[in-house]
Amino acid sequence: MELVIAVFIGILYACGVYLILRRSLVKLILGVFILGNATNLIIFLAGGLERSGIGFIKDSPMETVQMSDPLPQALILTAIVISLGIAAYILALMYKFFKVTGTHDLDQLKNTEQK
Amino acid sequence: MILFGFIIFPLIYILINFLPVFHRLKQGLAIVFALINILLSVALLAEVKDAGMVKLEMGSWQAPYGIVLVADRFSAFMIAISALVILATVLYSYHSIDEERKQTGYFQFLFGIVMGVNGSFIAGDLFNLYVWFEVMLMSSFILMSHGGERKQLEGSIKYLILNLVSSFFFVAGIGLLYGKLGTLNLADISYKIFSHSDPWSSITSPLALIMVGFAIKGALFPFFFWLPASYHTPPPAVSALFAGLLTKVGIYSIIRFYTLVLYTNHEFWNLTVLSIGVLSMVIGVFTATSQYDFRKILSFHIISQVGYVIIGLAFFTINSLAAAIFFLGHNMIAKTNTYLVAGWVEKRTGTLDLKALGDMFRENKIWSILFFISAFALAGIPPLSGFVGKYAIIKSGIDSGHMLVALVALFVGIFTLFSMLKIWMEVFWKQRPETIESSPKQGPEKLMVAGSALLALGTIGMGLAGIPVMDYCNAAAADLMDPSRYVEFVLN
Repeated sequence: MELVIAVFIGILYACGVYLILRRSLVKLILGVFILGNATNLIIFLAGGLERSGIGFIKDSPMETVQMSDPLPQALILTAIVISLGIAAYILALMYKFFKVTGTHDLDQLKNTEQK
Repeated sequence: MILFGFIIFPLIYILINFLPVFHRLKQGLAIVFALINILLSVALLAEVKDAGMVKLEMGSWQAPYGIVLVADRFSAFMIAISALVILATVLYSYHSIDEERKQTGYFQFLFGIVMGVNGSFIAGDLFNLYVWFEVMLMSSFILMSHGGERKQLEGSIKYLILNLVSSFFFVAGIGLLYGKLGTLNLADISYKIFSHSDPWSSITSPLALIMVGFAIKGALFPFFFWLPASYHTPPPAVSALFAGLLTKVGIYSIIRFYTLVLYTNHEFWNLTVLSIGVLSMVIGVFTATSQYDFRKILSFHIISQVGYVIIGLAFFTINSLAAAIFFLGHNMIAKTNTYLVAGWVEKRTGTLDLKALGDMFRENKIWSILFFISAFALAGIPPLSGFVGKYAIIKSGIDSGHMLVALVALFVGIFTLFSMLKIWMEVFWKQRPETIESSPKQGPEKLMVAGSALLALGTIGMGLAGIPVMDYCNAAAADLMDPSRYVEFVLN
């Protein structure tokens, strides 16, 4: 199962990088979202995948080996909330940029470039 | 408890700002809260001077399990310098930012940056550091695009995407490191790696990911391209704040991470960090000399000057580390001030193109002297602070046997002087070309001068009081060079 998810993460990264390198602003933003999700999956995988057992210790002592580590899941939750905020901002920025310039072509961003 | 204040006071200010009334009062309160921040940082300096380190376990969870805030001498120094920079920028913004931006939450987001920067300096574990980075970045994204001018939006997109990519590197590194070590507390990571016999084969890749994340944030070679493409687009007060604080947080994290974790694999990391530092230094200064925009020259100089700090770290002796800390502090103050002067020039003339400027010395002597002080502090002219910092870095380099690197640093110093002289001659000294119309903006400037003068005094103070400040930096470096102190203090 770990291997499948690891390969899946690799594919997501490939898609994300491909989209980021496109000229369209919309695709750039989609690429950023995909990269963010791939990164969250890495944290998820780092905690280890266990089929049984949740990370919750009851009164009776139980086998802790079978538990999956709850901390990475808490970390992902934080990371997801942060990426939600960033997604909201980035969409607003794109809307504003489109309104001001009337284009979503990244090659038009040359005005601020260093010569 | 004092550590908590660095986070809670900016947060209180942010919350106050959600009230839809009392706009004047809220803007005035920004100055009050910046002063509170300074007072807190002075109190922290006093406390750290005696105790060495301070820590706060959030929610009383013990160190490796809960979130812990730690401040040692290095953190306290950085917090104090950034508090000074923040106060100066708030004062300056009060008279330089237009009313519309101020009423739509300019100071609110500025304090978001304050909270993020303070938090990063006292964060005791990696994930917490990441969260503070994000707090800081979100506020900086908004300030970067605040106002919505076309060039601002272009700059923000570049700034935003590359900083997000750096966050992804950082988080991926954190995830993999946690998978290998089972902890995120910096002290605990340091302890586990130190007590492990040969951990390097499995954790070098997460550490490299984390370092790439920091290097993008710190605008080091070869990851610096976002900085000169974006820092000259927002209002001058904003770019001054960014120049003074944001890249420096990345550099702070590199120093902290290197001295706690990476030093155990010295052979690999030392050479990497040293060459990155040298290349940033050289390439930053060369690209700066070819620019003809006031703020772009300064932007490229940021890259060159963080290079100095990084070579100071890579020499890795107590003296060189102390010099690096001193130089970092000096650079935050002097660099911010040059941007503040650039803002004044833009306000008076409406342009920052060196070819269209001139005669500013005749127009206003005070601002010219303020620029002179900070620009020549950056170039390293005695008795200003840059001289002390550069001298200490180069001397420690020669002492530790890196003769060639020390010579390169001297060589880069000459080019720094050249481009500062270029700005001075073109903007302040030569006659203004007659053909070009200037379009000055109106408005009071008293607090702008006050903010800039505060930083100029800081530069002079750090130069004249070089020995006591350097002694403090030496104590801070001694703490950093002996990570077992930090580890024992945090983990008991």
